[in-house]
Amino acid sequence: MNHVTIRSLAAAGLLAGAIAAPTLAAAQSLDKGVYEVGFITEKTGPLAAAGISYWHGAELALEEINSASLLGDGIALELVEKESGSDAARAVQALTQFAADRDIKVATCCILSPVAGALKPVAKSMGIPLIIYGATRPGLPELPYVSSVVALPGPAEVKMTQTLADTLKPKKVTYFVNADNDAFQARFKAAQKVMEDNGIETGEVISILANDTDFTGPATQAMATNPDLIMVWTTQTPAVGIVSALRQRGYEGDISSSDVISPVAVFEKAGQAIEGVPFPILFSPSLSKDPRAQAFIDAYNKKYGQQPDTYSAQGYTVMYYLAQALGTLSGNPSREEIAEALAAVKEIKDNIYGGLPMIDGQATVENSLIVNWSGDGTLVPWEAK
Amino acid sequence: MQLFFEQLVNGWALGSLYALFGIGFGLVFATLGILNAAHGAYASWAAIIGYYAVTSLGLPLPLALLAGVLGGGAIAIIVDQVAFQPLRAVGAGMLGALITSIAFWIILDSLAGFATKQQSLAFPPSSYPYNMVDFGVIRVPAMQIITIITLILVTTGMWILIARTRVGAAMRAVGWNATAAGLGGVNARMVILLTAFLAGATSGLAGVLGGIATNNVSYTLGEALLLKGFAAVVVGGYDDVRGTAIAGICLGIIEVFVAQYISTSFRDGFTYILLLTFLVARPRGLFGSISVQRA
Repeated sequence: MNHVTIRSLAAAGLLAGAIAAPTLAAAQSLDKGVYEVGFITEKTGPLAAAGISYWHGAELALEEINSASLLGDGIALELVEKESGSDAARAVQALTQFAADRDIKVATCCILSPVAGALKPVAKSMGIPLIIYGATRPGLPELPYVSSVVALPGPAEVKMTQTLADTLKPKKVTYFVNADNDAFQARFKAAQKVMEDNGIETGEVISILANDTDFTGPATQAMATNPDLIMVWTTQTPAVGIVSALRQRGYEGDISSSDVISPVAVFEKAGQAIEGVPFPILFSPSLSKDPRAQAFIDAYNKKYGQQPDTYSAQGYTVMYYLAQALGTLSGNPSREEIAEALAAVKEIKDNIYGGLPMIDGQATVENSLIVNWSGDGTLVPWEAK
Repeated sequence: MQLFFEQLVNGWALGSLYALFGIGFGLVFATLGILNAAHGAYASWAAIIGYYAVTSLGLPLPLALLAGVLGGGAIAIIVDQVAFQPLRAVGAGMLGALITSIAFWIILDSLAGFATKQQSLAFPPSSYPYNMVDFGVIRVPAMQIITIITLILVTTGMWILIARTRVGAAMRAVGWNATAAGLGGVNARMVILLTAFLAGATSGLAGVLGGIATNNVSYTLGEALLLKGFAAVVVGGYDDVRGTAIAGICLGIIEVFVAQYISTSFRDGFTYILLLTFLVARPRGLFGSISVQRA
């Protein structure tokens, strides 16, 4: 493998000036070579469907960055993967191994917030920059070593909840929430507060566990409260199971969920059961009109033969965020210098969201959509029945 | 009261899955003396086979069930012959078999992950009875009724087989002492193969029905059944399928009622407490005979 080698700064600068893409405005003069990025994957385990999407997104972005020589001629990024299976202990082990390998300049990880929370002190203590690609618990980023390209779902979910309160005018709402996931606990509490601020009664809060598979009992419990709306604030597999169980038991009232039901694989699995269930989303291949997003969608379709989802969009964003930071550096930067460069990014310029400010290491998206799956398997803007 | 009865049926159906799974688990332990950690993988694989029988081959549910059951039985025979027979031949003890079964559990689960592309799949609703059956006071999903009836039929059939037939007598004889049974004219090898098949098949039945009922066909399916099935066997008694059936149903009902009337947080805790109580206070279980050897 051709790792970073010392080259003439002047020659690299000249090359970079001639080749650098417009999106990387800063004149960069990195040493030529391969810069390795440790990617802690989750392609197995309970979140494998999402984990594969994150990986595909990152892989595509890396190919684009390398083939367009965005970092300069002779400079390439390379992904080195270690699988965690969404297990915190395995993820920590992977990050520790990355930290021990001096060729790994930066690491990226984590769908689950508890896993990201476990990695955060390791990244800080071992001095390896960590970019979070999926976890959504507020407060995870801590500059300069830990940053996140995932916009917090909170604002979009609060917006959706207010919209549901205004349009559906429910009198009573029953909630499902993961008892073993503090991020979803926070998301549920934010939604419950919006509802209660609008004078809407809480029917019941039904706790489930991430590994649960049978939801007939909880569905019966929820329906017995006679709610006008059931909000499902859980991870993906329980969310699909709960909505399916409710529909199978004949519940015809309104149900809402979160972006965990946004992947195509979820619709293919659940089909009609999740049709019409609103959820907020930051990126949708069928609704995003931004030309940059369209380019991403086309390239993804071409490479993988399927539409990207919100997770592949986040994996894609990681690599452009990193490329932007690296583009401001010269020579053979240390991990500390890369961390500082990542911390200095105030907006990810090359993004598919129509704007992606970074506030204290945390990506922020202002434009969210409320969508639902239609019968033909496309995402459409949600409208009250 | 409507909620109470609906949850009672939910628990009964859930417990029926635990019991179906536990029957095979207990059968292997009582007859072959193996605490088989790979037993959950049979359920996962049966569900996967059933799923692909429906979605890829377009088979109707009864044939998909049959495919899953036969598949579960076949895998159990293969595992027995590859993993346990050599240990039996050298007289290795229960610990060796347990360690080997853990290795096969990992292997089969990993392969199941590849077979499902690491995803949780679900039977298409059009492939099984999706409707609710109206009993006046309560409405019950048709699949729950099928699961409950299946357990009753399997338990009855298995009890008759073990307690009232020559084959069952041979199985009990092998479970007591395979060498003595062989000297008495029993073909121990055939009995072992039959026992392994029956165990895999009942586990497979639980896997396919569970996969349909929970919308979850994945390598994690069997893992979810393993502990509860084990608990059903311990509480019910290793060598009596009636005990396993009753204990499984009770576990399901307790689980659902604890979640409904106390808290989800305590749900699994009650199962563990029940398990520990029986292990300490009545290790032979509700119906088990005193003479059964314990781990």
